[in-house]
Amino acid sequence: MDIAYYPGCSLKASSALYDVQSRRVFEALGVHLKEIEDWNCCGATSAGKVDDFLAVAMPARNLGIAEATGLSEMVIPCSACYSRTLVAQAQLEKDADLKEAVNEALAAKVTGGIKVSSILEVLLAVVASGDMKQKIQKDKKILKALKPACYYGCLQTRFPCAVPVPDDVENPQGMEKVLRAIGIQAMDWSYKTDCCGASSAVTDEEAADALMARIVKDAVARGAHCLVVTCPMCQLNLDAQQDRFGPKYGIQKRLPVFFITEILGLAMGMSVEELQIDRHLTDGTQLLKELEWI
Amino acid sequence: MTVPVHEYDPQEARSLIEEVSERSGQNLLACYQCRRCAAGCPVAEETEYVTPDRLIRRIALGDREGALTNELVWRCVSCYTCGTRCPNDIQTARITETLKKMAKEAHLEPLRPRIAAFHSAFMASGVRWGRVNEMEFMGIYETKTALESLKRMDLKAVAEELKAQVDFGLAMFKHKRMHMGLQMAKGRKEIHRLKKKAEQRRGK
Repeated sequence: MDIAYYPGCSLKASSALYDVQSRRVFEALGVHLKEIEDWNCCGATSAGKVDDFLAVAMPARNLGIAEATGLSEMVIPCSACYSRTLVAQAQLEKDADLKEAVNEALAAKVTGGIKVSSILEVLLAVVASGDMKQKIQKDKKILKALKPACYYGCLQTRFPCAVPVPDDVENPQGMEKVLRAIGIQAMDWSYKTDCCGASSAVTDEEAADALMARIVKDAVARGAHCLVVTCPMCQLNLDAQQDRFGPKYGIQKRLPVFFITEILGLAMGMSVEELQIDRHLTDGTQLLKELEWI
Repeated sequence: MTVPVHEYDPQEARSLIEEVSERSGQNLLACYQCRRCAAGCPVAEETEYVTPDRLIRRIALGDREGALTNELVWRCVSCYTCGTRCPNDIQTARITETLKKMAKEAHLEPLRPRIAAFHSAFMASGVRWGRVNEMEFMGIYETKTALESLKRMDLKAVAEELKAQVDFGLAMFKHKRMHMGLQMAKGRKEIHRLKKKAEQRRGK
């Protein structure tokens, strides 16, 4: 199956590992990611704070390019890009004048129609087709021994305007379902949709550290081995700042923060190097060795 | 906050609530102060008790200065929890985002200059190149922040920030999380056209 793919800026820079993993894992699952041509920044969470027109217009250009491919669906692994693009699509649909104004400046016009999907929606479709389980190479017992806490953050389920939300808003289950399909039982916990602080980790450490500490503290208290995420911003914050907020809030243990593509890739027999898991700031390889995953 | 009855100006109150409602797309008049938003706000402890319900109240009372200059406007993390739980579908994160823009238009000094500098540097990079370059926009952001501290002659803040950033940068570099090349979209001219359009629309 061919599917349009929007990586976004962070998957080409600090989270380039997520781009590599997404390509490898989806290819192995028979989903061919077709990166849309000459895409641009979606404006992320900054655009709405600076200019409301650009907040819609920037993702609109990408929607126009994606529609021109003729593909019916586009996957966006980054939560911020996914949220921005989905919201822009809904706003253009609702406001004909806005759509006309945006389209005037675009080479590839937005007409509507392409489905914008999160990485979980595409993975869940693979699970539903029955193609996921047969790709798994890891031993059942080894998979079962992992106790992850799935962390969704904000932008997978909460949106600033009415869009069709593909999961439960307060207690999403998409990641748990994907993991269950390969024999991993994720744990129940309280902070799966709490905010990591996003850019506050840079601009307002005090607020962000308090938020991140609450998340990791609960996961540690419940005996989670690791966090599993889909958002590159959440991953970078929780991965790179644990040594900053951990000591401040009396958290001794350090939790690896895995992208869901890392868990899937490893379960399908890919190596740490192929998946670039060695690019984490909070080491995940030690845990993987202890649990005989590698 | 409360406003003495003799200071409450219905005309001023109406113009403020209408402006914020229209620009944010939120129906502020629907708020009946149930405070579900306050209960869910993850930064409520950091905002000197300005919770979404109280921000809406300030706007309803026509307290322009209080609405534009408070900790919630700047420290709101746009997590959308308040709006998701609001029984009247008021998305306060859209209100704080609107107030940030209104504060800038009113030439008010941002209460949290670092937060304002970050978002403007991010957008400038995204618009300039068509894609955001982390090294470039973080460099601009850090320079702006250091200059702010220097203006206040706060050399300790400059030194601390510099050390934190160097340590963080080295860790990122060591783990190959730093990207040196320049990213750009060939079609950035379209983005520049959109930016011009945005400026025209703001002007009118």
